[in-house]
Amino acid sequence: MLFGRKKAVAAGVDQKAKEAYFTASQGQLIWARFKGNRTAMIAAWALVLMILMGLFAPFLSPYDPTIAGRDENYENGAPQMPKFWDENGFSLRPFIYATERERSIKTNFRWVVTENRDHRLYMRFFVEDWNYKLLGLIPANTHLFGVDEGGKIHLFGTDASGKDIFGRTLHAIWTSLAVGTLGVLISFVLALIIGGVAGYFGGWIDSVLQMITDAIRTVPSIPLFMALAAFMPDHWSSETRFFFISIILGLIGWPTLARRIRTHLLTERTQEYVLAAELSGASAGHIIRRHLLPSFTSYIIVDLMISFPYMVRSETALSFIGLGLKDPVNSLGALMQNVSKADVLLNYQWYFIPVIFFVALVLAFVFVGDGLRDAADPYSDSKK
Amino acid sequence: MSDTLIKARGLSVGFKIGSGLFGKSILKAVDNVDIDIEKGSFFGLVGESGSGKTTLGRALLKAVPITGGTASYSDGEVDYDLTTLAGPELKDYRKRAQLIFQDPYAALSPRMTVRDIIAEPLEVMGLTKTREETDARVREIAAKCRLNLEHLRRFPHAFSGGQRQRISIARALVSGPRFIVADESVAALDVSIQADVLNLLKKIQREMKITFLFISHDLSVVAHTCDHLAVMYLGRLVESAPTRTLFAAPRHPYTKALFSAIPSLDPDDRGRAQKLEGEIPSPTNQPPGCKFHTRCPYVIDRCRKDEPKLEHPGDGHEVACHRWRELADAARATA
Amino acid sequence: MTALIEVKNLTIQFRTDEGLVTAVDDVSFSLNKGEVMGLVGESGSGKSVTAKALMHLNARNAVYGANSRIILHSENGPVEVLKLKTARELKIVRGGAISMIFQEPMASFAPAITIGDQMVEQLMLHSDMGKAKAKALSVEMLDRVGISDPAKRFGQYAFELSGGMRQRAMIAMALSTKPKLLIADEPTTALDVTIQAQVIDLMKDLVSEFHMGIVFITHDLGVIAQTADKVSVMYLGRLIEEGPVREVIRNPKHPYTQGLLAALPKLENLDAPLTPVAGDIPSPLERPTGCVFHTRCPKVVGDQCKTRLPEHVQVDSTHRVACHIHTAEVPA
Repeated sequence: MLFGRKKAVAAGVDQKAKEAYFTASQGQLIWARFKGNRTAMIAAWALVLMILMGLFAPFLSPYDPTIAGRDENYENGAPQMPKFWDENGFSLRPFIYATERERSIKTNFRWVVTENRDHRLYMRFFVEDWNYKLLGLIPANTHLFGVDEGGKIHLFGTDASGKDIFGRTLHAIWTSLAVGTLGVLISFVLALIIGGVAGYFGGWIDSVLQMITDAIRTVPSIPLFMALAAFMPDHWSSETRFFFISIILGLIGWPTLARRIRTHLLTERTQEYVLAAELSGASAGHIIRRHLLPSFTSYIIVDLMISFPYMVRSETALSFIGLGLKDPVNSLGALMQNVSKADVLLNYQWYFIPVIFFVALVLAFVFVGDGLRDAADPYSDSKK
Repeated sequence: MSDTLIKARGLSVGFKIGSGLFGKSILKAVDNVDIDIEKGSFFGLVGESGSGKTTLGRALLKAVPITGGTASYSDGEVDYDLTTLAGPELKDYRKRAQLIFQDPYAALSPRMTVRDIIAEPLEVMGLTKTREETDARVREIAAKCRLNLEHLRRFPHAFSGGQRQRISIARALVSGPRFIVADESVAALDVSIQADVLNLLKKIQREMKITFLFISHDLSVVAHTCDHLAVMYLGRLVESAPTRTLFAAPRHPYTKALFSAIPSLDPDDRGRAQKLEGEIPSPTNQPPGCKFHTRCPYVIDRCRKDEPKLEHPGDGHEVACHRWRELADAARATA
Repeated sequence: MTALIEVKNLTIQFRTDEGLVTAVDDVSFSLNKGEVMGLVGESGSGKSVTAKALMHLNARNAVYGANSRIILHSENGPVEVLKLKTARELKIVRGGAISMIFQEPMASFAPAITIGDQMVEQLMLHSDMGKAKAKALSVEMLDRVGISDPAKRFGQYAFELSGGMRQRAMIAMALSTKPKLLIADEPTTALDVTIQAQVIDLMKDLVSEFHMGIVFITHDLGVIAQTADKVSVMYLGRLIEEGPVREVIRNPKHPYTQGLLAALPKLENLDAPLTPVAGDIPSPLERPTGCVFHTRCPKVVGDQCKTRLPEHVQVDSTHRVACHIHTAEVPA
């Protein structure tokens, strides 16, 4: 079936394309199949876009997302959409309005922000503002956009202390991705070593390692998290907390992956082509290098992709229930924590914008992971 | 005999089953087998599933450990004791003895080009020094197996079953072996392709003077290709003779039943054959005495107690049955 | 004799990522009551797809040709199988008038349900039988197919049985609903020859007893010679030759059938060289134009083989062949 289908790809095209198909490696075949999956391709582009947004977060955010960059005159401010025209005419440069804040007897002595529709603030590009390090290395102070002197632009609005939600969201994507990457890497290294040893050597080593793996899998995660939160001293800096959480996520995330690597190795080891190599006098090293490792790189990539949203979700969940990163740090979980107030639901709906990004990020990972799995797994297309 | 390539006496292969702390038992997949494979012959090994034919073939290649008896290999250049073979000698034996698999899909790594698959034995054995030398050798062998040399850059997914089996054969041949075990090498192929691969194997045997152990469940295939046949049942060798002798007058009741069970191509020859009752017993729960007595139409009390030994009557037609002389006489009388 | 099932111009294509793949191309045949038809072909010949179509069992991405018709003549009048849509309608054919047995019996038994429970469930689904009656009939059927100690086997799981026993149990289950037509898809291929001989014998007995029609799918011409009344030979989705089993095997008219028979090792003559059919079977998406066999045919008569599809020609009243050698002989 599969063979017929694979060969079928070549039908009706010229000899050159056919030869290209016949000489295509597994990786090329997987890529070709992945490209045919439209959902996965859209998700992949969205993912790349979000990763770039995270990577260039400081450049894209006009203001410092920490308390240093707060806008005292625009707390809990609504999103400001740049406009090209209004009742006063058309402008080629997009603009927003300056805001004014007043408190008087007319407003029951509450701060009320009003737009001054006669005072346009035009958008400017490549403005110089707060200092940052691009990609953590290059010192810079140029930002993609800003507005004229005398006001600030908040595309996604501001929070209670006047911090720009747009900038916070971009930085939060980056934090969550970094926690996820670190966690996935830790669990991946552990899984590769433990699963690889168990699968390749088998026997009693395998039995012992399986017992350990099972023991770790039985630890319930929520009580563990709570215990860890209690353990985490309050005086820890946000960086320390950040690393601590990544390591915890990595340490509890490896058993599933280790199990899969072990199972895959066990089945692959009994394949006839591995026996054929053994009968050719190939050493264990040659077999691992030439046959076993290449046989599961595609599975590993898929597994990493699929466990990534799990990591992001765990970090978010931890932060959301207040056990992970706390508010001054920009993580998606910390931002989502702000949403859980009734006040926000009623008056400040723009707090939900980071939630949209969170959902989009997780969905993108899931769709890309699914697409890769379908492309790498030859059994997924046994339609016939 | 000086021109015996493989000689085994009382060869046994046992596997431990029921791993864990309790209930370890030994499954004897091959039990006390005597076999002589002549140099340059096409030796057929026939049996149903569970007969131990695959295990015997793999034991002779040192792919599974031999647990009892003796086995030796002697090709005129080297003499090896297969029960103790290890280290550099085992490496050398790997060059001289190769395996061709049944399933042309599983036996080829999907991640390597055909050229790399065929060249792998050369590289791991260090048979060639330079890439040019390797390529030349791969091309030579590929041409012999009638593979299109332009297709060497392709991956296995580009090939049909018959072509893949030819790639498998080329890989087995590349190290210049003297002995090849072909394990059900045509069973997975379509009928119209099967004959092609069989003819190729025969041609290789003749031209390259390679000794073949051809393992199959299909009697009509082995009858056409092999010079000598050995029949296995439940780990034992029950009969061994030159092909023609065996087909003309099978001595063991199992061999007879096996022959008559082959569906005849003649639509008017229906149901005339002698049919066996029952099925091959499980290797973990073997009957006492002759292993075939549970299904044998000629069973007597002695068969249930004593296990018959493989007899060597001197005419090259060996058989392990208590009653073979009696049955042969009776057959002659009715004929 | 009355026709049991008629297949007319059956064309089946599969919608795949790479386009439509033709699996069966304009196949017509009919089967009478109590008749055994052998459907022979190699991989990619479309024999299994054809058989599954009889029960409307092909995957969702199958596309049937506009003129394709399968008519089942049941007691309640003819049924157009391909027009059946809902599960309720399909019950008439699936497990009702038609039963199917497969190459791998393990796959057709649920691993966690006993054989007996599955048989009873199926019987109660397809008839108005009570549980006790269904059980009695199931045990009787197990006994009928030569399973020793049927009452005990009734309570066992499929994995507890040996390969041959499993195949017998599957036959018992397939026949318990008293189908009019049995489709046997390579039922003996996975079995050892001595067990295969037993199962073939059993099927022959059952035909004479139950008087049903059988479509016997196999790649093994020997099995066909032993079981079938008539044979249809398929190659790449086309029916290239059909006729009574003696005629087709002794006097094959199509070069492919001739090649197939010549490629078989024969026990009667060990000296006869094996003559393979040249070349490889083309993939379904690289269907040759004209006669689908021309790429491997040793008897190509001219350009028409490459360009024109050969018509079916009656060699005699029952023997049909689709080959230009024979179309040329017919006076225009």
